[in-house]
Amino acid sequence: MYYRIIRNDILKSKAITLTTMIFVAAAAMLVSLAAILVVNLSGALDTLMTQAKTPHFMQMHSGDIDTARLTSFAGQNSNVDEFQVLEFLNMDGAQIILGDSSLANNVQDNGFSIQSKKFDYLLDLDGNIINVSDGELYVPISYMRDNTTKVGDKAVISGKEFTVAGFLRDSQMNSTLSSSKRFLVSEKDYAEIKNLGGMEYLIEFRLKDLSALGAFEAAYASAELEANGPTITYPLFKTINALSDGMMIAVILLVSALVVAIAFMCIRFTLLAKIEDDYREIGVMKAIGLRVSDIKKIYLAKYAAIAAAGSILGFALSVMLKGMLLENIRLYMGESENSSFAVALGIIGILLVFLAIISYVSGVLKRFRKISAAEAIRFGASQEKNAGANRFCLNGNRLFNTNIFLGIKDVLARKRLYATMLAVLVISAFIIIVPQNLYNTISSKSFIKYMGIGNYDMRIDIQQIDNISEKAAEILKTMNSDSTISKYAVLTTKTFKAKMEDGSEENIKIELGDHSIFPIEYSQGRAPAAEDEIALSALNADELSKKVGEVITLVIEGKEKNLTVSGIYSDITNGGKTAKAVFTDNSNDIMWFVICAELSDQSLVDEKTSEYADRFVFATISDIDEFITQTYGSTISSVKKASNAAIAVALIITVLVTLLFMKMLVVKDRYSIAVMKAFGFTNSDITAQYVSRSVFVLIVGIVLGTLLANTLGEVLAGAVISTFGASTFHFAVNPLSAYLLSPLMMIGSVLIATMIGTSGAGQIKISESIKE
Amino acid sequence: MKKIIIGDHIIKSFGEGDEKRNVLDGVSVEMNEGEFVAIMGPSGSGKSTLMFALSGTDGVNGGKVVFDGRDLSAVGENELADIRRTKMGFVFQQPTMLKNLNILDNIILPSMRGNRKNAAKITEKARALMKRTGIAELEKRNITQVSGGQLQRAGICRALMSNPKIIFGDEPTGALNSKSAQEIMDIFSGINAEGTAVMLVTHDAKIAARTERIMFMRDGKIVSEMRLQKFSGTDIDDRMEKVTAKMREIGI
Repeated sequence: MYYRIIRNDILKSKAITLTTMIFVAAAAMLVSLAAILVVNLSGALDTLMTQAKTPHFMQMHSGDIDTARLTSFAGQNSNVDEFQVLEFLNMDGAQIILGDSSLANNVQDNGFSIQSKKFDYLLDLDGNIINVSDGELYVPISYMRDNTTKVGDKAVISGKEFTVAGFLRDSQMNSTLSSSKRFLVSEKDYAEIKNLGGMEYLIEFRLKDLSALGAFEAAYASAELEANGPTITYPLFKTINALSDGMMIAVILLVSALVVAIAFMCIRFTLLAKIEDDYREIGVMKAIGLRVSDIKKIYLAKYAAIAAAGSILGFALSVMLKGMLLENIRLYMGESENSSFAVALGIIGILLVFLAIISYVSGVLKRFRKISAAEAIRFGASQEKNAGANRFCLNGNRLFNTNIFLGIKDVLARKRLYATMLAVLVISAFIIIVPQNLYNTISSKSFIKYMGIGNYDMRIDIQQIDNISEKAAEILKTMNSDSTISKYAVLTTKTFKAKMEDGSEENIKIELGDHSIFPIEYSQGRAPAAEDEIALSALNADELSKKVGEVITLVIEGKEKNLTVSGIYSDITNGGKTAKAVFTDNSNDIMWFVICAELSDQSLVDEKTSEYADRFVFATISDIDEFITQTYGSTISSVKKASNAAIAVALIITVLVTLLFMKMLVVKDRYSIAVMKAFGFTNSDITAQYVSRSVFVLIVGIVLGTLLANTLGEVLAGAVISTFGASTFHFAVNPLSAYLLSPLMMIGSVLIATMIGTSGAGQIKISESIKE
Repeated sequence: MKKIIIGDHIIKSFGEGDEKRNVLDGVSVEMNEGEFVAIMGPSGSGKSTLMFALSGTDGVNGGKVVFDGRDLSAVGENELADIRRTKMGFVFQQPTMLKNLNILDNIILPSMRGNRKNAAKITEKARALMKRTGIAELEKRNITQVSGGQLQRAGICRALMSNPKIIFGDEPTGALNSKSAQEIMDIFSGINAEGTAVMLVTHDAKIAARTERIMFMRDGKIVSEMRLQKFSGTDIDDRMEKVTAKMREIGI
């Protein structure tokens, strides 16, 4: 019997059943995809880092190195499994020409290495350790991704010719977020170019027990070994590698949560409408002695069928689509070992969606208990009162056209029904606005303030050279006499020792200088202003477990000095572990200089950048826009893509749901429509009433959606942004697109959908519908 | 006397192919302005269908309908709606009221279309009609809070709002007890006395007996017709006897 009831019901409302099923399928597909991607990402990442034998602890160092001392440290530390020092030959981008393109404008630190002997291997795209021959060059995979070069291209490195033999996966530096990139050459070739670049060392350790990493870091620091450069540990490598795909998964998860919500709303709407329709029948069934659970089964069976069909379809789609989304993971990290487990987890995710739908339907059907059999049979409708709607009378209406009045009145009288449509429209508005605002925010120039970088036009980096102070002074002299430079700041980074609570000492890099010239955003507190103040990056504050107002003890020239933490900021530069202070110090070696400058005329940025670059070859000069483009360019463009996709998806959802709701309403309201037609309302009057219903709901939806987007959305986007290391942030909103274009697009789609959805009203025959 | 309605060989069919049958099988009807007419017949004889066809609410498959001098088949959907709103009034068996609106709003609804500037005048007129039909105190009530008879009076008020030339009633007393039914008929008689034509579809001889002309239908055709004197208010039993005698004679 259930089969027959379901079949008849579905045949009667094909479009509505289909739309509901599509949403269920989409929800199931996204949940399954997210599960599959999570498992594959972690699996592939593990595989990559296992095959490459990624170091557990890596200290970058430039300057003199005492290998014997390091070897003896490694020998004495019982936790060290393996130890090596790799050379990284840093080469100016202009000296690297791949095929037709030069890397002159590239902000990455491009360097050359030979294949490692013990661990930290560079792998080919099949996951094998590359055996490189003379004359061959292996290029980081990101240059394949952005089509800089291809296999077989001729490459010229400082005048020496190579052939691009392939691409390499680097478990340390794969990600665009990692600021260095390693090229692989043979030992013989390496020896030939060794004197043409700046030497950096990668001091690497593999530990027997990874959980004792913290203790090892402390031991390394207290041994006062080479530490002129960032320190990166295994967990950070993992995070950097997982970040871009992780963000994609996070977006999919967010979208799938929203689509699940929409699927629920559709089910709720169709179910409520159906109950309203069948009110009398339900009353009759109760009156003749059927149990509530019996009646529920009839309705539940239909939704179980829809949910099952949708889930199966969704799973099939996710299996078909997963290849596309896994492409990036496969390219950068290779295959995952536990892909069968991934599919199983996908199925579990879909089962959860299915069960959630069933229990949701069951919950909505609880209202059967409240239906009074007598009332249902007598009136055929629920006698619930809508206080708000009753005061809104046609005879007192001078404000609206009668059709608009009737539309609004209907919405107010059936709030529960329209609440569902409202919820979907709020979600749609949210989906449209949040990614758009996120894109606007991260693409705006001021966004880098959240990243620990001030808002300036040109940045000059000086490091790893002799007489660094004199060279900096030389630049400053030029700047002082340059009238186009409106202001500049010099920031000097030095390493100090910080006293830990347990008495041990740890290295801390502090950027000294005036931090008020190009201020950054502080998540807590403010910039250091007095001699005894210090600001910490979020990562450092975390590691040193310091809060604003607490005191940190530094060892400067052998003397202890107490500094108060004035603020905490987010930073993505130098591995995220930085600090800022203003005290003067003449003692320690300067690690690097950063000179930031603002130009009086923005249009001169390109010109000035190349002028300074030509004049001061020892320094890296970058135009800040270029810096942003190359560091976040891919992220910004993928957020833009995501934002456009989100707009398209949200509009499709809006159209589909409006169509579904309007079709459903016309079927439900055919009696009222017939009455109105009998009394002289035209089809366009009826359409006008439905349009005013949906536009009224939409306007409320847009207002609520926009409010939510700017509150909850900002918090959510903040969570995404915090994966970069930034912690506090506010949307930079483009009012034209967020508050004018997007609502207009939504209104347009709703109008069209309502017109199409209510076109059926024209076919309603008065004579057939009025006799009920 | 000017004709308000001329129906000429009207054919209306339902179903397709072998299932197809003519519910109206070449019916011809004429009705004068200010006339009081009843259409009688057993269930399925086509009397309601005839009324829907004559009022232009439903199209026809053959023949033509002329209302107030205009061939309805040549009139567009929107103009038909205008005609229904301004020249016709409808009262149905079930009270066709919108659940969202109170009694007063339901009555003024058609008149308010595109006319909200006159809301005060319209409301005033509705109140006068409600007073006349004895439901003046119900204006703020919800449609589920009044009796069937009261709802039907409200329906008549709504039909009268536009000063129509004719009122169509499809079993307007069918759902009422006989006392309420006679009260409703009193109202129809009053309206007719003021010059508005009334056409009622009914299977109740006592209702039909209040009119001046009765058309009898069977199987989609008008099989007979009878005329009566103007109702005096006291001769109802006598008139009813005549009607039932006629019904026996033609076998309905």
